[in-house]
Order: sequence, then structure tokens, then C-alpha cells
Amino acid sequence: MIAETTKEAVPAKKEPVGAVLVCGGGIAGIQASLDLSAAGFYVYLVEESPTIGGNMARLDKTFPTGDCATCIISPKVVACMRDLNIDVITMAEVVKLEGEAGNFRATVKTRPRFVNMDKCTGCGDCIERCPVRNIPRTVFESKPAEELDKKDEAFLTDIIARQQGDPGALMPVLEATNRVYGYLPRGIVEHAASRLSIPLASALKVASFYDKMRFEPVGRHVIQVCNGTSCHSQHSAALISLLEKKLGVSDGGTDKSGRFTLRTVRCLGLCALSPSMRIDDVSFGKVDPDDIDKILEQFS
Amino acid sequence: MNTAVRTSGDLDKLASLGSASLYPEKVKILIGSGTCGLAMGARAVEDAALATVKRFKADATVSRIGCIGFCSQEPLLDIVLPGGPRVSFGSMTAAKARAVLTAYFTKGNFGGEKPLGRFSSEEHVSTGEVHSYGSSPAAEGIPEWSKLDFFRLQKKVIMRNCGSIDPMSIEESIARGAYRGAQKALSSMKPASVLDEITASGLRGRGGAYFPTGQKWRFAHNAKGDVKYVVCNADEGAPGSSMDRSVLEGDPHAIIEGMIIGSYAIGANVGYVYVRSEYPLAITTLEHAIAEAEKLGILGDDIFGSGWNFRLSVRRGAGAYVCGEETGLIESIEGHSGEPRGRPPFPVTAGLWGKPTVVNNVKTWASVAPIITRGSQWYASIGSKTTTGTTIFSLEGSVKNPGLVEVPFGITLRDMIYGMGGGIRGDKACKAVQVGGPSIGCVPPSMLDLAIDSQDVPGKSANMGTGGIIVMDSDSCVVDMTRFLLGFFVDESCGRCTPCREGTKQMYAMFNKICEGKANTETIEQLERLSQAMNAASVCGLGTTASGPVTNALRHFRDDIDMHIAGRKCPAGVCEMKKA
Repeated sequence: MIAETTKEAVPAKKEPVGAVLVCGGGIAGIQASLDLSAAGFYVYLVEESPTIGGNMARLDKTFPTGDCATCIISPKVVACMRDLNIDVITMAEVVKLEGEAGNFRATVKTRPRFVNMDKCTGCGDCIERCPVRNIPRTVFESKPAEELDKKDEAFLTDIIARQQGDPGALMPVLEATNRVYGYLPRGIVEHAASRLSIPLASALKVASFYDKMRFEPVGRHVIQVCNGTSCHSQHSAALISLLEKKLGVSDGGTDKSGRFTLRTVRCLGLCALSPSMRIDDVSFGKVDPDDIDKILEQFS
Repeated sequence: MNTAVRTSGDLDKLASLGSASLYPEKVKILIGSGTCGLAMGARAVEDAALATVKRFKADATVSRIGCIGFCSQEPLLDIVLPGGPRVSFGSMTAAKARAVLTAYFTKGNFGGEKPLGRFSSEEHVSTGEVHSYGSSPAAEGIPEWSKLDFFRLQKKVIMRNCGSIDPMSIEESIARGAYRGAQKALSSMKPASVLDEITASGLRGRGGAYFPTGQKWRFAHNAKGDVKYVVCNADEGAPGSSMDRSVLEGDPHAIIEGMIIGSYAIGANVGYVYVRSEYPLAITTLEHAIAEAEKLGILGDDIFGSGWNFRLSVRRGAGAYVCGEETGLIESIEGHSGEPRGRPPFPVTAGLWGKPTVVNNVKTWASVAPIITRGSQWYASIGSKTTTGTTIFSLEGSVKNPGLVEVPFGITLRDMIYGMGGGIRGDKACKAVQVGGPSIGCVPPSMLDLAIDSQDVPGKSANMGTGGIIVMDSDSCVVDMTRFLLGFFVDESCGRCTPCREGTKQMYAMFNKICEGKANTETIEQLERLSQAMNAASVCGLGTTASGPVTNALRHFRDDIDMHIAGRKCPAGVCEMKKA
């Protein structure tokens, strides 16, 4: 419909083609194709990998709503494949583009698929039986962006060696990094994921799950104030807000001078000595808010 | 390795070494150096003690011990008099320590400092032997430790060596009977007879669900598979509990020995101890203990010459409560985020890396060895008919003497709070008690006289879960406490399943409304419906029990909630009402 109106609206110029070419079959490309098709255009959707769907299908949840990623993308992929106005061209790339706005001519190169698409049911058996190699094709390899400096390199090599090939090595490696550095430097996480042959996204998922693991650098000292049940009953809330006021930060923040990072934790296990707190490795029980200055003074 | 321990004779040799340092012929000064002691300044006390010993050139040793449970009196300093009893002093400071020791070294008395109590003897629970200290004129008139209110009703099995040995010394542990059970099981018992013994003892999991341990082990023993695992759950994430920490810090060998026996019974050659990272001292102590055991060949290949191999390693958590749920914990050891799995299959058939896995709590593992050395009959004679043995509670909140108490099942909350805990500070009335970790919530004073058990029998006994007994006095508000517990679940829900992820948030928001005086009667109905939905539809125990505090608040403290809603008033004056 729109195509026709366009024709009438610009009669003087050369007749525009009522078709659009979309490059990339990720969620953005799919949505663009669906919208364009609904608006009356014929769409050529060109995708480099064997299927459309892109990265979103690999995600667990989407920010900020926490919705399930597959639940969003699956209906769109199906709609896209069924749409008679969308021509999905996979395993292909655009090699040449000629013409001008409104009248392009694109040359698309399609690579061989080695699968008879008329017979394929998507069962996946061919991957298991593949005589060439048993690995499904992956387009994106996680390669660390930068090399590590000597100190980080030595640390990571040592900590990975200590796991002695344990299949669950990721967690101890991340935990040790977080403990030694106070947070998880991006470079180390990237290198750790790559060396343990774990996708970076999986490593980041694990890291973001655990409350102790953080991605921001911390101050010289980390204050952990207990916010467990026993401490709550002994007015830990007052202690927390006092520290927040004194340091000018909220939970998880670092003060301006970079001296203290403040964190609340769900129980330090000093329940009979409530309210309690810990600065680095030094614990304090039965903390009197009046003594806070004296306690903080010990840490410069 | 020629240093490897093989026979009970080898253990005897180590035990005599341990006895020499445990009960020396000279003055021995013990400093309570658990995290609780350290938090109250135990290091300064230790420095003062060392300096005083040096100053008087006294023939004395200073030794660090774990937590004996009397946290309200930390830091503790004990003096073992040569040929006489062990005398304990509480609430020490460097100055007090100097004064006591100076008085003792110069005049043979304790100056003006009043001792808490004395030990005339100590029982080695693993073997049943009793070590008598003898008597000394200096200790005349000091009350016996076991007669103190705080200890009178206690029965030590799990914490048998806590606060008596230097946790860094395997010899001292062995001197008090450690590894006798493992040696006996591995060299003279078949796995099946170990299983029978544990089953007969009636031991149940101390994690709170109280599943019969013998049965769990048997499932794993019978499960097919050449690779099996044992795991110790030391991710004591429930706020308000610190007993696992205390056992790890005070007597790590109790857990290692229990796991060796368990591994042999079910056929596992690899074990993990998953400790939460908030317990750095516990991790250091445990790692040291494992290294010592490996050095003596008590862990590793061909343990006690029996051909049995068992390796144990420590895994650290990173601040996730849900990792205390056994499948969440397994996921975490595998290197994933600790999102619990659906069941079945249960871990006993498909756990760690899909292999049969037994996950038990610290307290359960620590209970195992004495059952083997002293027999299931002995263990079954402790506790109640339905639940044998002992467990540890952490008395906290507004109680006069907070601390860790190990008690036989069948005891009542009243015995603990008013008997051991000395009642409520300021002699206020008891408003409620928050028991068993966050998922049970608050129970009313009317339940103080129910026996603590694994079974709920109306009017007689109740399952109080595990964890803390947080006493709330008349100045506290149950509605506020319930909101706090819900806030905890909002933070700790892993987000995997919708009923828990969304349900906890909504319940928290509703309780926030109640606390602010913005709720109406409809809120209560919504809460009830939501509780049922979460209980029925959540994947793991965190979600199914997250509504526990709400259910208990609605059942037992309806008047308080109504006062917040209809009267727009917090009876205790804790909640701040906002304009509707």
C-alpha cells in the first residue's frame, strides 16, 4: 500500500523499487524485516550464519525487565520465516551494492550449505555424524580484547594451574580473583573464560550471580556491616546509616578518597555479638555507634 | 610413605604427642581465638599473656583454642594450673589478662578477677575417656563449669573438642579421640555395617530437613556408578546462625573424619567442603587441617592401610544464600551460578556432575565419628525418641547470655532462653522468637514449652529448623521483623523461577504497606493467596519456604498486623506510619 502511495507522491523521479534489503538476521534485523513487511515492503533478509536469530537466542534474560530472551525471539523467528513478504537468505553476504537511494542493486553471495533444505527437519543428527568435524559452527569466538600485564598474567596462570583441570574451575578462579583484587577486572575475566574454554557470557553470568563478586574497583579497605537477623534485632540499621552518612556513600559505594568501600552482608556469623562488622579481615563485635570513629581510625 | 598412620598403634603415638601439648606438666594459658573471640579483642589478650609470661620468665605455654560457645563472655582466657583444674575467665582485656597472670605468677591467686568457672575434668567424647585435671588450692570455691546455667543442660557431641584443642594441631585432636572412628571403620568394618550403624543411631540431617542420614547414605551406596561424591555443606547462609563456623574453626578434624567414614560407606573417593566466604578463619583452619591429615596419610591413598582412597578439597562460596540449598551448592561446585535444580533426580542418584552425591551439613558430618567409636546405642540414648542426638542452637537477640549451645533434642525453647540464656535483657517480656533461619519466621511465647524435635506434634513438639534462636523483647515488632526477613528473600532469590522471584518482591511490598499503615484487609487475602502459590509452584526450598514468615505472622500475630492496618499504629513503636 505504502509503496503505491510513494509512487504517486514522487512521480517525477525514477520509480522506486518496493523492496528493502536488511543486513543481519539478529533480533534487530528480524524486527526491522517484520515491520517493513507489515508496512508493505518486500524484504530480503541477508544473514551470515546458517540461521537467523543472532545472539539473543543465547541469552538467558534481557535487561531491564528480566524477561526470558528465547520467549521474545522465538515467535519473531517463526513469523519471519513464514512471512511471504520476507525472503530469508542465510549463509550469505552482500558483496556489491550499486545504484542510489530508492533504487539499489545488491549482489549477494550464498555459501554452500551441504544440506538439502527441502528434506531437512532440523533434527541435528548430522552434527553428531559429521565426517568433517564434530563441532557445530560458531561465528563469534570470545577473544580477550587486550593482553594481560605481567602481574595479572602470573596470577591467572598460577590460579588456573592450581585447579588441576577441575571441570568446575571457573568458580574458584573467579572467587580467588575477586578476593585478591577486591573485584573482578574485566581483562582477567576475559582471559580466564578463554583459557577455561567457557564463553565469556557464561563467565559473566556466574560472576554477576554471586553477591561478593563485583565489577567495580574497591577502596583500600572494605567494610562489611552485618545485616543478618540477629544484627537487625540489635539495630544494625542505625549502624549502617551512620556509616553511610560518615562516608557519604550508600551500600556498595566507595568514598571519595578511595579509602573505604561500604557493603552490607547477610550475616557474618557473629550473631551472639550483634551488631557486628568486619573491615578487611578484622572483625568487630558488639559495635557501639559511638566507637565508629575509633574503629575507622585504625585503617588509613 | 613411612610417616603414614596405619594402625591404632600409630594413632596412639600421635595421641601421646598431642596429650603432651594438650595437658602439659606446666601452666597452660588458653585464649579463645574463634572469630567471635577475635572480634572482641582476643589478639590483644594473647599479646598481653605472652608478654606477662615473658616478664616473669614463667614456665608456661600460651595456646589458641576455638570457640566454646560462651560468646557473651568473649574473649575468654583459661589457665590450666599444673596438676590442677582449668580455670576460665571471661570478658578479658589486655589489662585484665596482665592483672590475672601477674597475680597468679607472683602470689598464686587470681587477684581481684573472678573466674567464670573451672573444669575439674574433660570428657573425650569420641572415646568416652575422661581426663581428670586434679585439684589445686588456687581453684577452691570456683563453680564447676558444667554446673553453670549456660552449660548445665548442654550435651557436647558435635562441639566435643571445640574450645579445648588447638584447632591447628592434629595431634591434640587425636589425643581427644579424633580419627579413631575412621580407623575402626576402614580397617575392621564393611561399608554395609557402617551404614547399619548410622541407620541404627537414628542420626538425621542437621541442615533443617532432618532426613535420616543412614537412609540417604544407603540410597547413594545403592546408586549405580563408579564415581560418587560426598559434600559437606558449610554454606551457613541463614542469617542468625554461626554454629557451623564455630565447628569449622574449633574442630575441623571432626568434619574430615565424618567425611572419611561417609565416603567409605557410600563408595566415594572425592569430597568437597563448600564454605561460605564470609568465614575466612574457618577456611584457613580447615585447609590447614586437611593439609595436616594429608601429611599423615589420613587423607589420600590407602588410608590406614585399608586400600581406601579419599581426597578432600575446600570450595569457597561467594555470598549467595541459595547455595546452601543442596542442588544450588552442587551447581556452584560445578562452576555455575548457584541456581537450584528441579527434583527428581535427587542428588543421591544424580548430583555433582550427574554422579551419586551425598550432601550433609557440617553438624551431621561432625556427629558421625562418635557413633562409630561408641556405637549407635550410645548415640540413640541421647535426645528424644523421634530424634536422637544433639544439635547446636545459637542463642541471640535480646537474651542475657547469647552464645552457642549444644543440646539434646527434646529440650524446650524456654529451657534454652530462660535456663541457659539467663532470660531477657532488662527482664522485659518475650514478644516473639525468630527461630530456625529466615524461613520459619517468628513464633509466639506460647510455643516456648514445645519440645524441639524433627517432627511437629501439636501441643508437644515442633521442628524449629536449624540456626538461630533470636529472642525479641517487648520493644520489638513482629511485623517489622517479618518485613526484614522478606527483604532477605528478595535479595537472595536467584531469579530462576517466577513464583519466587516475583512472589518475594510482592510480599515484601505488601508488608512494606502494612508497616507504613497503607494496607487494608484485602492485603491479607492477597498475602494468603500468594503464600499458597509460592509454596506450591517454586522450584526449590528457598521459594517454597519464603512464605513461612508470613504464614507464621498471620497465624500467631494477627492482632499486631490488624493493629498496623486498622489502627494505623505499631504497638512497639518500631514501624513509622506514613500518610495513606
